[in-house]
Amino acid sequence: MNLSDYYAITPLVFLVCWAIFLLLVDLWIPAGRKGITALLSAAGLLIALVLVLRSGEQVLTAFEGSVVVDGFSVFLSVLFLVSALAGIALAHDYLQRLGLERGEYYPLLLISTSGMMLMTYAYDLIEVFLALELLSIPLYILAGFSRLNLESEEASLKYFLLGAFSSGFVLYGVGLVFAATGYTDFPGIAKAAQNGSLNPTLFLIGAGLVLTGFGFKSALVPFHMWSPDVYQGAPSPVTAFMSVGAKAAGFAALLRVFVVVFPGMSVNLTPLLWALAALTMFVGNIVALVQSNIKRLLAYSSIAHSGYLLMAFVPYGNASVRSDAIAGMLFYLAAYCLTTFGAWAVVIALEKAEGKGLELEDYAGLGHRYPFLAATMTIFLLSFTGVPLTLGFWGKFYLFSTAVEGGFWQLALIGLLTSLISAYYYLRVVVIMYMRPGTPQVQRNFWPLLTSGVGALAVVILGIAPGVLLNLAVSALLKGL
Amino acid sequence: MNATLVIEWVVKSLVIILVLTGGFAYTTLYERKVLARMQVRRGPNRAGPLGILQPVADGIKLIFKEELTPHNADKFIFTVAPVITVVPALVITAVVPWGREISLFGRTFTLYLSNVNVAVLYILSVTSISVYGITLAGWSSNNKYATLGGVRATAQMISYELALGCAYIGPILIVGSMSLVDIVEAQAGVWFIFLQPVAFLVYFLASLAEVNRAPFDMPEAEQELTAGYHTEYSGMKFALFFMAEYIKMIAVAMIGVSLFLGGYLGPGIDRFPILGPVYLFIKVAVWLFVIIWVRATLPRIRYDRLMALGWKVMFPLALLSVMITALVLLFVES
Amino acid sequence: MTIMQIIFLITASVTLFAALMVVSTRKMMHAAMWLILVLFGVTITFALLETRFFAIVQLVIYIGAIAILIIFAVMLTRRSMNADVPQVNRNWWLVMVSSLALFVGLVTVMSVWEGFFVTARTAPPGGENLVQLGTALVDPNGFVLPFEVASLVLLAAMVGAIYVAAERKEK
Repeated sequence: MNLSDYYAITPLVFLVCWAIFLLLVDLWIPAGRKGITALLSAAGLLIALVLVLRSGEQVLTAFEGSVVVDGFSVFLSVLFLVSALAGIALAHDYLQRLGLERGEYYPLLLISTSGMMLMTYAYDLIEVFLALELLSIPLYILAGFSRLNLESEEASLKYFLLGAFSSGFVLYGVGLVFAATGYTDFPGIAKAAQNGSLNPTLFLIGAGLVLTGFGFKSALVPFHMWSPDVYQGAPSPVTAFMSVGAKAAGFAALLRVFVVVFPGMSVNLTPLLWALAALTMFVGNIVALVQSNIKRLLAYSSIAHSGYLLMAFVPYGNASVRSDAIAGMLFYLAAYCLTTFGAWAVVIALEKAEGKGLELEDYAGLGHRYPFLAATMTIFLLSFTGVPLTLGFWGKFYLFSTAVEGGFWQLALIGLLTSLISAYYYLRVVVIMYMRPGTPQVQRNFWPLLTSGVGALAVVILGIAPGVLLNLAVSALLKGL
Repeated sequence: MNATLVIEWVVKSLVIILVLTGGFAYTTLYERKVLARMQVRRGPNRAGPLGILQPVADGIKLIFKEELTPHNADKFIFTVAPVITVVPALVITAVVPWGREISLFGRTFTLYLSNVNVAVLYILSVTSISVYGITLAGWSSNNKYATLGGVRATAQMISYELALGCAYIGPILIVGSMSLVDIVEAQAGVWFIFLQPVAFLVYFLASLAEVNRAPFDMPEAEQELTAGYHTEYSGMKFALFFMAEYIKMIAVAMIGVSLFLGGYLGPGIDRFPILGPVYLFIKVAVWLFVIIWVRATLPRIRYDRLMALGWKVMFPLALLSVMITALVLLFVES
Repeated sequence: MTIMQIIFLITASVTLFAALMVVSTRKMMHAAMWLILVLFGVTITFALLETRFFAIVQLVIYIGAIAILIIFAVMLTRRSMNADVPQVNRNWWLVMVSSLALFVGLVTVMSVWEGFFVTARTAPPGGENLVQLGTALVDPNGFVLPFEVASLVLLAAMVGAIYVAAERKEK
């Protein structure tokens, strides 16, 4: 028995044990006082956060090299843990308000988070697949958490069916890669790829299937069909968590797999990635133009952001730009996380039971009645658009500039163009909030307001001094990938 | 693979099947006699001396009864369901040893059909198949009572299979082999009922549920479901279900005896290996007596109670027993 | 051609035919029964490779547990006796052509790979080494992490299943 293996993944082990502990403790917490479970799970996440930060000094490998804890995984783990914290902050009051208060929410959220963390640690295709399942299965349930609500059930079922479908793609791809190389661990596959001791066609098909599977998870066009319905039907805090966590985890896995395992295949894959990124940016932004429901609007906007994130992958074959591109992607993910949670916090403050309060018209007059909420929402929407001096601007700036450095200026141009398109629907919300008269009703609850406040503050401060975050992202990569 | 070996296997298989079918016939008589005595009656005593020909009479009656197939039944499944029920019951005891080696006609025979290392898994797999017969019989009859009986039987058998499977693990852990021959031989010193009392208890109760015997005979609860899954069956098809139920009773008794009560072992077995089957027979008879006794004594429990018992008491208990066994073995070894 | 090969060919053709019937038969219950035949064919294939353990595990898990759950679910659905559900939609030929193309493509791709023509190896006499399999599942240098994660996945799925299915008092 070798404990050092477990030592390397202490935060993960702790989080899982805490989730199981919460499942048991929750039995003795009376219904109607599930706030205790929420607090306990938040405490667990904070402890896990401390454990992650403490272990962030050296690169650890464990379990025969199938798990690697490096700067990349620490950066993303922090992102996931913060997302889970935000997911809990947004959820408790919301669940109570909609009569959904059940203790299972929190352990499931924790288990999903641990799946995301495992995804960043994974250095073996078997682990990648299992982490994908571990993060997805709780999300299928959480999407249908509002059980008597038909839309929520539809969301859950759709997400489950398409998720199972995409898992099938990933698994088939993993199988073909294994068949082509004889390895499932990343170094083994990479070595086989370098010696040329593999079947290139099988390998390429396998890589394509893995890409397709993760494309579903991260909602890339043309694999995005499920996401608007799921994002609309699922309870809003779950949607927020899903749109950040699941997406980031999908990208994390793609990044690991592509950079470590498939660097030699960039010639074949780059045009494909290029097309996917361009298509995703276009479709996401253009379809978002006609949305009148805020949840659907944010869903399409999140699809569009997948496209921007994918841009970081396109120059990955070019070794000189690669680390810049990845740092840019990490930066963008962090910015996207902060902005998304802030925006969803505002949505949750306005949402009422039975799906009311979600139309754009319901935001009319928000600027006069609730200037704080309207101001934070404006900041988030500007950041989504990429208006200068917000965090989102710097995110797009880094991504576009690495794309140009990598020689893909057309892609950067498309990104710029679609950002201009996106300004229309983002600013439309701002216009409605400030220019139209109306009497919006807002649930004033401390935690969502705090989330949006903190988010807005972070977006503004980091937007003024983006170097801090960028340095973190860059130094995360210095320790190797 | 020589010819004599094949012939030996065929003969052994035939013996097993004949003993089981004969055993089925006389278990019915045994049950009726014991029940009668417990209820201060005499039981069947007209056909032959002491009613010894009663099973033959029953058989003849069933053969001459009219076969009915309901109009809207799924004919094919309706016909094969009794067969699917009987076959697993007949083959399940193939891995149960009847004794050690004996010499006969100048050859040495082993008193078991096969000694595979996955015997216990084999038993589990065959048990899990036997659910199908009842389920399909209930469904294909296109009768509400039958369908309900089938659904109940499926749920009950699946639920109790878990506890049953966990009960097997204790003896396997102690012996370190899944072969029933090894498990029986390991009980030469002390029977596993003393080392694994909880597993034994769980096995006994779960096996009652698995063969749908009282007090767990929910799938055929007369008062609620007329006759449960075999409501629409008559004649020989009904006889096959009846046969399967009693053969399964004998089978779980044989397996239980082998796992917990020393199987064919007994005093003098080393000198006279031929005593093996006799000891096995005696132990099985005692086990069957207890099963009948339980039927005569206990009322049927309610269905939800049955499921609650299975999932909330038996399964955790069996898991706990496995865990404790494993821990004790770990400490004993180190 | 040895007896084993003949048995394999029979098993394989029955399995494939049954698989075809699973998707083409109109009655759900019959589809489930054909599925059982498919799974049984796989069991026999395992047995032909002399992997006793996997054969029996296939039997216990797929036939004994999964298929019976499918049948159970079919029994609980409405009108499971009637077969008035259309089996195909308008695009069935398109799907057939594309799946055939996929099949042919994959076989062509695989046939350039030398592993394609390797004859199947049977397990060593006496079946697989179960002790090795067991220790590999709990060994940090083996597969303990995937094993534990898989159990966690099942736990989450179980909690979810109970959450979705459990009766709740309506307010």
